[in-house]
Amino acid sequence: MYADYAYLIVALPVLAFVLCLFVGWHLPRGGGFITVLATLGGLIISLGILKETYPNQIVHQSMHWFADFNVGILIDPLALVMLLMVTFVVTLIHTYANGYMNGDPGAARYFAEAGLFTAAMLGLVYSDNLLQLFIFWELVGLCSYLLIGFWYRKPSAASAAKKAFLTTRVGDVLFLAGIILLYNNLAALNIPLKPGEYLLQFPVIYANIAQIPPAQLTLIALGILGGAIGKSGQFPLHVWLPDAMEGPTTVSAMIHAATMVTAGVYLVARMFPLFYAAPHGLTAVAAVGAFTALFAATMGLTAFDIKRVLAFSTVSQLGFMMAGLGVGAAVGAAAVGVSIFHLIGHSFFKALLFLCAGSVIHAVNTNDMREMGAVGKYMKWTMYTMLVGSLSLAGFPLFTGFFTKDEIIAKAYEYGVMINFLPYIFLVAAAVLTAIYTFRMWFCVFTGKERSNYGHHESPWVMVGPLVILAVFAFGFGMAAQHDFYSYLDTNFEHYSVNFDELGVIGGHAAEGHEAAGEGEGAGEPWYIKLLPYIISIGGILLAGLFYWDKIKRFDPSQVTGENDPLRRTLLKGYYQHEIFTAWFAETVVYGTSLICNMIDIKLVDGWLNWLSAWILGLAENVRKIQTGVIQNYVSAMLLGIVVLVVVITLAMEVGLV
Amino acid sequence: MIQNAISLMIAIPLIGAVISLFAGSKAKFVALIASFIPLVLSLQMYMEFDKSSKIMQFVESYNWVPSIGVKYTVGVDGIGFPLLLLSTIVSILVIIYSWGEGKKPNQYFALLLLNEVGVLGVFTALDFFLFYIFWEVVLIPMYFLIGAWGGPRKDYAAIKFFIYTHVASLVMLLAIFALYFTYSMPDGTRTFDMLTLLQATADKAIFPTGLLNIIFAGLLFGFLVKMPAFPFHTWLPDAHVEAPTAGSVVLAALLLKMGGYGIFRVIMPILPNVDKAWITVIAIIAVLSIVYGAFLALAQKDIKKLVAYSSVSHMGFVTLGAVAFTWMSIQGAMFQQFSHGIITCVLFMSAGTIQHVVGTRIIADLGGLADRMPKFAVIMMAGFMASLGLPGMSGFVAEFLVLTGSFATLPMYTMIVVFLSVATTAAYHLWAMQKVMFGPILKKYMNVHDPHSYELFSMGMIILLSLLFGIAPGLITDIMGTAAHQVMEPVVTLSQMGVI
Repeated sequence: MYADYAYLIVALPVLAFVLCLFVGWHLPRGGGFITVLATLGGLIISLGILKETYPNQIVHQSMHWFADFNVGILIDPLALVMLLMVTFVVTLIHTYANGYMNGDPGAARYFAEAGLFTAAMLGLVYSDNLLQLFIFWELVGLCSYLLIGFWYRKPSAASAAKKAFLTTRVGDVLFLAGIILLYNNLAALNIPLKPGEYLLQFPVIYANIAQIPPAQLTLIALGILGGAIGKSGQFPLHVWLPDAMEGPTTVSAMIHAATMVTAGVYLVARMFPLFYAAPHGLTAVAAVGAFTALFAATMGLTAFDIKRVLAFSTVSQLGFMMAGLGVGAAVGAAAVGVSIFHLIGHSFFKALLFLCAGSVIHAVNTNDMREMGAVGKYMKWTMYTMLVGSLSLAGFPLFTGFFTKDEIIAKAYEYGVMINFLPYIFLVAAAVLTAIYTFRMWFCVFTGKERSNYGHHESPWVMVGPLVILAVFAFGFGMAAQHDFYSYLDTNFEHYSVNFDELGVIGGHAAEGHEAAGEGEGAGEPWYIKLLPYIISIGGILLAGLFYWDKIKRFDPSQVTGENDPLRRTLLKGYYQHEIFTAWFAETVVYGTSLICNMIDIKLVDGWLNWLSAWILGLAENVRKIQTGVIQNYVSAMLLGIVVLVVVITLAMEVGLV
Repeated sequence: MIQNAISLMIAIPLIGAVISLFAGSKAKFVALIASFIPLVLSLQMYMEFDKSSKIMQFVESYNWVPSIGVKYTVGVDGIGFPLLLLSTIVSILVIIYSWGEGKKPNQYFALLLLNEVGVLGVFTALDFFLFYIFWEVVLIPMYFLIGAWGGPRKDYAAIKFFIYTHVASLVMLLAIFALYFTYSMPDGTRTFDMLTLLQATADKAIFPTGLLNIIFAGLLFGFLVKMPAFPFHTWLPDAHVEAPTAGSVVLAALLLKMGGYGIFRVIMPILPNVDKAWITVIAIIAVLSIVYGAFLALAQKDIKKLVAYSSVSHMGFVTLGAVAFTWMSIQGAMFQQFSHGIITCVLFMSAGTIQHVVGTRIIADLGGLADRMPKFAVIMMAGFMASLGLPGMSGFVAEFLVLTGSFATLPMYTMIVVFLSVATTAAYHLWAMQKVMFGPILKKYMNVHDPHSYELFSMGMIILLSLLFGIAPGLITDIMGTAAHQVMEPVVTLSQMGVI
């Protein structure tokens, strides 16, 4: 019954977008309640569908669109958990935004764009074909652009918005190339399609992967991975994400932490059978993910802007998720469940952390942690909810992050035993740094002495309420959902004709490896590997405390690195990405090329023409009186020309030339 | 079913043009009515149009100059009809946009109507002689629009436009004559009938490959200049920069489409019978137009010139999709014609509005306008997004079809386009948008405000159309799907269709 209304999950927020855009200006708080209700409606429908389909049914609806393409809805376990997470988290964030955006003259525009974003994200999640997914994917990018640039009068915001759009666009180029390649490969197979089946539908793709040449599969997989790298802020296309913090904090929470950036991970999970079958496909995913996880964490250590710390942390955690998928080369389809579990858990605690940061910024009026300190005295609710989020992010035992992140590390260990230990090493190092930078932030903000004058007040209930709800999930979700979640997601590809054994042979994954991994669920891990997660999180927090918590402070950060330490400078500069990507690549290479093209156009392509006309004019110096500039003369000349031509051609034909 | 719908459509704006010449300041009302009736007629035709039929519809044929085989034959199929619809839509919106024109409004609106006559004629004529006449008719109003209402360098631009496109037309005419004089009907007479001549080109006994290559080159040159394609595009930026807004809109939205129409109607039926090397030549031209055009746009300092170069880039997709010669790519190329026709209107209108509200179009001198012109900012943003190929709007559908379809036959060229143009296109649009609209409002622009409601209305309608055809492309791709099959099959003459 609920499944019949699945289209409303997207339609309601679209309606909210239209209403807020046109009448929001006349409603209290920009009509924010409309967007909240629309998203809540989506949550209710999603829950209804969960009730109807759990544990072993899927919903699939489709209709013809144009040419050889369709539009459709596909709700399988993978899509459904995403739908539930997005509607739930975004409902809370929209509620919070009702308080946060109160008084902003652009509130109606904010809620309109936020509604459109919600629709796009949800549409992306339950698309039944790759083209439709791509369309919503781009719309998500558009909303991100609009919302990052929400305060468009600020030049930095306008720049950050453009940077986000263009950087992700580079990834989208690869994604588009992947889709084109995939479509043409499928078309070349001449698959007999039943009525209602279309080439780019996921079930059709899954069923025919084995027929595509392996070399082509790798190219397709790399293309799609490119898209995911752009959207999910993976190295080297992560550069837009920290800058995206120019938007309102609710945007950061909604788009750049909990939902949109997870789209890339979701895409790889959705196309997992293809990556599994593509030789080196998952290796690339694991490499990108593990490297990004560590790389971003190092930058998180040195940032002073509280939102940037969280942004780097997001990049790093997305790296964990990617690596979680990548280790599927060793553990098979179970990787999807592991990675998505972290994705869902992360969305709770990262949304929470951002909203807490927003609450702090709302009161303190700065993003700079050096100007905060002792905020906890005045904002108890914010402090404790943020503590829950931080513990979860740091992977403190029993908190959500502990279960979700450490499962990825455990799977990476299996991958290490079978294939290569590098991802495991990178992820462990990243996990240590995660605990450190997270508590560096928490201690700097909430403990110590006030380092500037700021407002002393807690945020209103409409903002604190969502924090508390999110805190509950950031604490308990991992523990409560662990087993059901894995068993539910592991059935995802059983709904389609995917033969992982066959695909594994194409992709070059040893079949025995899986069985070994399947039997000894963790049995092969020595005791010190099992103990490591506890050491990492608690040790990391303690270490951060020794530097930044006044009660137990033993060291000063300046003892470790001096002002002129090249490593510190490199980290503060974010590995000179701005210099490389913006100053060198965009402004020198691309813009330089365009200037050269312009020169060629003026001097050469147009130049020869002007030269030709000057030459003709010179030739016609004696008859220049013809150049009267009166149009009638040109028209008569034209007619005369036609007559001459006719005569010439006729003569030519008479003589037999033509 | 309306009798003589096409002739009526051509006649009404022509009569309207004459009346508005004498209507003084009331000319705009005459123009509105004279462009509204063709719009209604074309919508009525859309209802009656058989989307799955490859046969010419709404055909009218009368002898005109029987001694030399000239007939007045008009009719539409899936190739021409979408462009006819585009012409009636764009024409009325341009007239509404120009509602406030104060300089010699009677002549101004008369020229816009005359222009509509010309383009409607080009898209419906089925006799080469008639086709050529309409083709040339279009030049005249555009020349005067640029020459009389244009900017500071209008004389240079007008002459350049006229001579450049006119030389191209003459070359094309030469090729048409070659067709005319080479082929004789079974009864020994000659004919200008388009489909008959095109069908005959498939006969090697009449048109040996060597001769056909030359004819093909002439026709192709004529159409490529009009589109315009690299390296024949340099007349376009000059014409646009100096033309008044309405002139630019009509030029980009309709006149360029004549070139694309010629490709589908005339070039594609001959393509299978000429040297295969032509495919490479045309593909290279297409790729260069797309990529080079996009890079040129990025270098521009005048926002109108930027938009002009974006047209070069976007029209390259039409050439690419056509020459790739797959069902999907041809369909996409046709849709690109239609879609670019819509979207480019809002871009040129935006440039025009900025010019007359703010007084300059130089990007570096602008900034923060969104603050003072919020409604306009939303519309311009939507237009720019449509132009950069945002999904959900018509441009994306067209480009996706072209690229996906072209890959099957021209994989290398397609990938070059994907990698070098998609991100560049986004870059120049967003860069211009940021410089013009965002950032703090400059002091000198504190007093600017949203433009007149009729300007916003025209632009808003175009955004809605782009959304409509982006969300429900089937409305028009169903027609184009049939037309794409038609393009790929041998030509069938009107008498074989049984319509005359």
